[in-house]
Amino acid sequence: MMNLQQVMPPKSTANGFGRRRGEREGGTRLESKSQSGKSNSGRVTTTVIGSKSGSCAVSSHDKLLYLASCLIGLSVEVQVKGGSVYAGIFHATSDEKDFGVILKMARLIKDGNFRGQKTVAEFVSKPPSKNFIIPSSELVQVIAKDVAVTRDGFANELQSDKQRELMIDSLISQTRHVEERELEPWIPDEDVPQLPELENIFDDPWNSKKWDQFETNETLFGVKTTFNEELYTTKLLRGPQTEELEKEAARIAREIAGEDTQDLHLAEERGSSIHENLGIDEETRFSSVYRGTGFDDSGYEEDEDIVLNTHNNETFGDSSGSVDQISTDFAIAKSSDGGQLSSSSFIVDEAQTSQSDGTGADLYCSEIPSRNFSTLDSESRVQENLLGECGGNNDAKDFVEKQPLPEDAQLPKSGDSQSSPNREKAGTIKVGRSANATPYSTSHVLSKGNEKTSSHGEPVDVAASCKAPGEPQSVNSRGRPGSSASSNSDRAAATSASSGPGLSPSSSMGSLSSEKSTLNPYAKEFKLNPNAKSFTPSQASARPLSPVADNAFYHPPNVSAVPHMHGLPVGFGMGPSLAAQQPVIYPQIAPMQSPQTYYHPHGPQYGQQMLVGQSRPVFYLPNYQPEMPYKGRDY
Amino acid sequence: MEGQVGGSGEEFAVGCLLSIKTTLGDEFDGQVMAFDRFTNMLGLKSGPRRNIRLLNANYIKDFSFLGQADDPLDPKKCFLDLSRLQAREHLAVRQAEADAQRIGVGVTTEAQNIFDALSKTLPVRWDKTVIVVMNEVRVSSPYLPESVSGGTAAANERVKKVLEFERKRLQARGSSQG
Repeated sequence: MMNLQQVMPPKSTANGFGRRRGEREGGTRLESKSQSGKSNSGRVTTTVIGSKSGSCAVSSHDKLLYLASCLIGLSVEVQVKGGSVYAGIFHATSDEKDFGVILKMARLIKDGNFRGQKTVAEFVSKPPSKNFIIPSSELVQVIAKDVAVTRDGFANELQSDKQRELMIDSLISQTRHVEERELEPWIPDEDVPQLPELENIFDDPWNSKKWDQFETNETLFGVKTTFNEELYTTKLLRGPQTEELEKEAARIAREIAGEDTQDLHLAEERGSSIHENLGIDEETRFSSVYRGTGFDDSGYEEDEDIVLNTHNNETFGDSSGSVDQISTDFAIAKSSDGGQLSSSSFIVDEAQTSQSDGTGADLYCSEIPSRNFSTLDSESRVQENLLGECGGNNDAKDFVEKQPLPEDAQLPKSGDSQSSPNREKAGTIKVGRSANATPYSTSHVLSKGNEKTSSHGEPVDVAASCKAPGEPQSVNSRGRPGSSASSNSDRAAATSASSGPGLSPSSSMGSLSSEKSTLNPYAKEFKLNPNAKSFTPSQASARPLSPVADNAFYHPPNVSAVPHMHGLPVGFGMGPSLAAQQPVIYPQIAPMQSPQTYYHPHGPQYGQQMLVGQSRPVFYLPNYQPEMPYKGRDY
Repeated sequence: MEGQVGGSGEEFAVGCLLSIKTTLGDEFDGQVMAFDRFTNMLGLKSGPRRNIRLLNANYIKDFSFLGQADDPLDPKKCFLDLSRLQAREHLAVRQAEADAQRIGVGVTTEAQNIFDALSKTLPVRWDKTVIVVMNEVRVSSPYLPESVSGGTAAANERVKKVLEFERKRLQARGSSQG
């Protein structure tokens, strides 16, 4: 067997050719003696012309050896004397005197006995040969396709092998130069017999013979299911107000779904056609992988703000003048303290004023914010920050002054026994729309809030999360705020926020104790801003994760002072699914004392948001359970 | 410098572009990458796609010189990573073995096609010339719905259905092509 060498060592050939130096260096200089097409006369000799110093000369034999080595492991075809062709994996060549070949897993693909036949006979008569030896006397040629023979080639091959194995999204989005595959449109098979019974079962979702997967499974395979929907979601309580609530939820859903968005995919979902003229190709329109040059969160900010703002306006409509001051977009970087409560109440108030149709469903929106801030750390600095940043000082003031609502309870505040109730001042709740400068402030605030107390993020996120859970992008943007949240203490929350994993619709916003949470019937409808920027501490894909996740940041960083809270699993992403949603209320788990209820960035952690201390049910979903007693926040 | 024994007996210079006809009727163009006089093996590179051909020069019936170019193999760039090669080989062998499992030995092409079609949606394997589905339903020659046996009633039915479907589809495709 040939021993393969790592590098072609110089070899001297017996017949006096000697080392051929410089054969390859600086190009080959060949002296051709005579050339003709005739087999016996064409002859070109290689001569050393000015041998360059240097590297070992490689004899022709070595070269051949090298070439053969490059074929190892590749699938090759070998033609033998009789004309038959075998395909197999190249394993080795024989010794130096003769050139034979060994293949693994070889099979006959062309039989020389049947001249002109392209393929092997109908029968596969025997399994592939594990080791197939073709002696040199039989060997005519070995053909291999697409072989890398130089280092560059190897590198490319390696890389494309690896890439071809698993093209994960992040690989696609982060690689600057990705060799794009040539996409071909799919053409269905013609003449495929249609078997309607195999295909139409799902066509009509309301068809009379409803498809029950469990039943089918049991019939076909005798498998009995133990699935109980209620294990995974809150039991839907249908009460007298169900229809109303459903209608309301549907309305909200329609509104959300009808919002404008800058995101291509969202727009697609909603049927709005932006970018029609931009010549965006099909793949970009429908692909899930954003091929950007890295998603830069920071740069985004300005736009985000603006978008956020717009959305907030849409979302919240135009509130009355006074209310305008309040940024409705829950950029509530409110520190978790009593103040927040008031803010929330404030918001609630606003909600009330601005929307007369406050129903339980609305509460959903407002709930969140309140919840969020209650969890924020107690520094009320946040407020200040907000105020300062937004330049909406006046807003803040207004806000502060407002405090109309008694902290009572309309907002089920998750345990917000804030230490300083007065803090609530608004500053934190900057609802996007405020006419003044504030609006994007939320984002700004948020970012700034980072250093400070944090909770800034939440509101934005909250907003984001409110949006349909299915909309990933918003989450990311929201994330940003999250990061600011809990800056002091609980970075975790921030982090989690940033990752903004998608929240599933069912991950309701932290409703802690289902039975007790009560939606504030007057709460302002929360509209998720899908474009809110979410914070991502690290390079994240350009597509924000589901909005819901963002909300999660609302974790009270230090809960020590604040017994309640946390737990706002803000599963905002209810979005269009509101209508159909069951109220998601997290059953309250044992209250966590630890201040670190932080939100894990990915996945619905909602369950963990527990109310510490008092369990204030955090309830944000369109409320199907109006009858749930509102725990009330105890201020 | 002197001619080689054997059919051609000439030296092929590295880098030459040749057009070759073999005694077996193949015709192709290629650039010489290596030529070993002793074994009379010619290593050629052809096409834009880096195809390599190792040809026994004894079988060259005819060739013509198309031109001369530089040595395609830059010695500075030639490295062999044995471990990578071996790994590649192992992988290929394993893959081939897996593929071989899916090929029935001594079965007709039609049977093989049916097997392939069934394998798209059901777990199948060969047991000599019998297709075994989900490890319990057996489909033997001639692979008609009647040839389906074994398994639970539900599974059996299902295999029958899929088999019918695939047969029809193969037929349709075959007739459209044939």
